[in-house]
Amino acid sequence: MKSPLWSNIFKNWNSQESEKVTALKHVPVFDGLSDKELNEIEKLTHERTYQSGEHVFKNKAPSEGMFIIISGSVEIYLENTGDKNILAELNDRDFFGEIALLDTEPRSAGAIATTPSTLLGFFRPDLLSLMERNPALSSKILTNLGAVLAERLRKTNELLPKSDN
Amino acid sequence: MDKQKNYIQLIYRLMVGLLAIGFLYVIWPYISSVLLMLVFAFLFTTVLLSSVDSLERKIRNRGLSVLVVTVGLIAAISIFIGSFATNLADQAGGFSQRLETESFMDDFNSFIDKTKAKLPDFAKGGGEDVDAASKLNEIVGNVMSTLLTFAGALGSFIFNMIMVIIFTIILLLNYHQFKKSLVGFIPNKYFEVGLRLIYNIEQQVSNYLRGQLLAATSVAIMSIIGLYILNFFGANLTLVIFIGIIAGLANLIPLVGPFIGMLIAFAVALMNNLGNEAAQAHMLFNAIPSPFYILDVALMFIIVQQVDNNFITPLLVGESVGLHPIMVMIALLIGGTLIGPMGMLFAVPAAGIIKVIGHEISFVTKNAHLL
Repeated sequence: MKSPLWSNIFKNWNSQESEKVTALKHVPVFDGLSDKELNEIEKLTHERTYQSGEHVFKNKAPSEGMFIIISGSVEIYLENTGDKNILAELNDRDFFGEIALLDTEPRSAGAIATTPSTLLGFFRPDLLSLMERNPALSSKILTNLGAVLAERLRKTNELLPKSDN
Repeated sequence: MDKQKNYIQLIYRLMVGLLAIGFLYVIWPYISSVLLMLVFAFLFTTVLLSSVDSLERKIRNRGLSVLVVTVGLIAAISIFIGSFATNLADQAGGFSQRLETESFMDDFNSFIDKTKAKLPDFAKGGGEDVDAASKLNEIVGNVMSTLLTFAGALGSFIFNMIMVIIFTIILLLNYHQFKKSLVGFIPNKYFEVGLRLIYNIEQQVSNYLRGQLLAATSVAIMSIIGLYILNFFGANLTLVIFIGIIAGLANLIPLVGPFIGMLIAFAVALMNNLGNEAAQAHMLFNAIPSPFYILDVALMFIIVQQVDNNFITPLLVGESVGLHPIMVMIALLIGGTLIGPMGMLFAVPAAGIIKVIGHEISFVTKNAHLL
C-alpha cells in the first residue's frame, strides 16, 4: 500500500502540467520562460469566469492588466454612436489587454464574453511586485512584451499604406 | 410594481445591515483583541515584506527568508529589551540606595527649598511646609506598586506578542497567496478597480511605515549624538543609547511622541545629578538657569525635532499620506480616544487608508458607467 507520508512528500513529482501553465506557454509575453518560472507566474495570475454576454471590460474603463483565454471566446469591439465595430474574435489560448501592463491609460476598446468563458488575468500590480522579488524574470516578460508591441506596430505600419490607398 | 420591489429590496438590505451591525456589536468584545493582533501582524508584515522579498530574490527560498528576517528581528528586540531592563534595574537600584541615605534626602530638601525661594510669591502655593523628601518616598512607593501591576500585564503582553509573531510569520509566508484569495472574492465588474485599490492601500501603508521607521532611526541616532554632546559638557546622563532608541520609537506617534524621550532624559538627568551642586547651579549659555541640565536636554530634543520635522521626515515620508496637518490632529484625537496610545500610533496610516478608499469610491461612482 502507498504511504500517505511519502506520497505527500513526493506529491509534486511527475505531476501533470496545469491547464493554466499550458495556456501561459502559448502566450508570446511568456516566451522563453522555464517551467519553474511559468509556475511562478501562474501563482500571480487570477482565474475569472464570465457568463455569455458579460463584459470583461468596457471601452475607456480603468485598466490594470492582460487576460488570457483558457476556454471560451471573447469579442473585442469599439462602439461609435451605437454602431458596434468588432475588432477581433478571440478563442482559447488567445490574449488581450496586454498594453495595460505598461501604462495606466483607460482601455482603448471593450471586451465581452460571447460564450461562457474562463480567463486568466495577469495584472500590473503583480508584475510590479514580481519586479521587486525577481527582476530577472520580470525583465524577460517586459522584453517579450516589448517584442509583442513592436510586432503589432510593424503590422500597423504595413497596413497604413493600404488604408491610404 | 418595480418601485414596490425596490422598496422591499431596500428594507431587506436595511434589515440585513442592522442585523450584521448588531451581531458585530455582540461579538466585538470576543474578537476585538484577535482583530488588534491581526492589525499588528499586518503592519509588521507590511514593514518586513520588502526585506523578505529581497532576501528571497537572493536565496530563492521563501521559508528560509521569512525565518532569517523574523529570527533576526526577534533577536534584536530581545537583546534591546534585555539589556535595557538590566540597565534600568541597575539605575533604579542605585537611585533607591541613594534615596535611603540621609545626605541625599537633605540634598533633595535643600534643593526644593532653594527652588522655592527663587519662585515669585504667587507660585509658592498655600505656604504649607511639606516635607519634599517624604513625598518623593511616597511617589517611589507608588511607582513600585504600579510596577507590580505592570508585571501582571506583561504576561498577557508576551502572549499577545507571541500570537502576533505567529500571525506575522504565516502572513509573510503566504502573503501573495492570501492576497490572491482575497482578490478572488471581488466581482468581475469591480475586479480591476478592486485590484488597484488593494495595491494603492499596500503602497500607502508600506511607504508610510518605511518612511516613519527611517525617520525614527534618524531621530534615535541624532538624540544619541545630542545626549553624548551634553555629557561632554558635564550633563552626567546614563542610558544614552536606550533613551535615544526610545525617543526614536516614540517619534512614531506624531505630536505626542517626541516628548516621551525628553521626559525619560529629564528623569535620568534628575536621578543622576541630585546632590551635585554644580549640576544644580548649571546655567544654559551661562545666562539661563538650567538645574540638572533640564533646559539643555529640552533644547537638544527641540533641535532634533526641528531637524526631523523640517528636513528628514519631509524627505523620507514626504507626501506619502498626503493628509492636511489638521486632519492628522483630528485622526490622532479620534485614535487616542478610541484605543489610547496604540490608536495614536495607527491613526495616521488608518486615515491615509480611509483617504485612498474614499478616493477610489468617488472614482468608481463617477465612472460607474464604464464598469
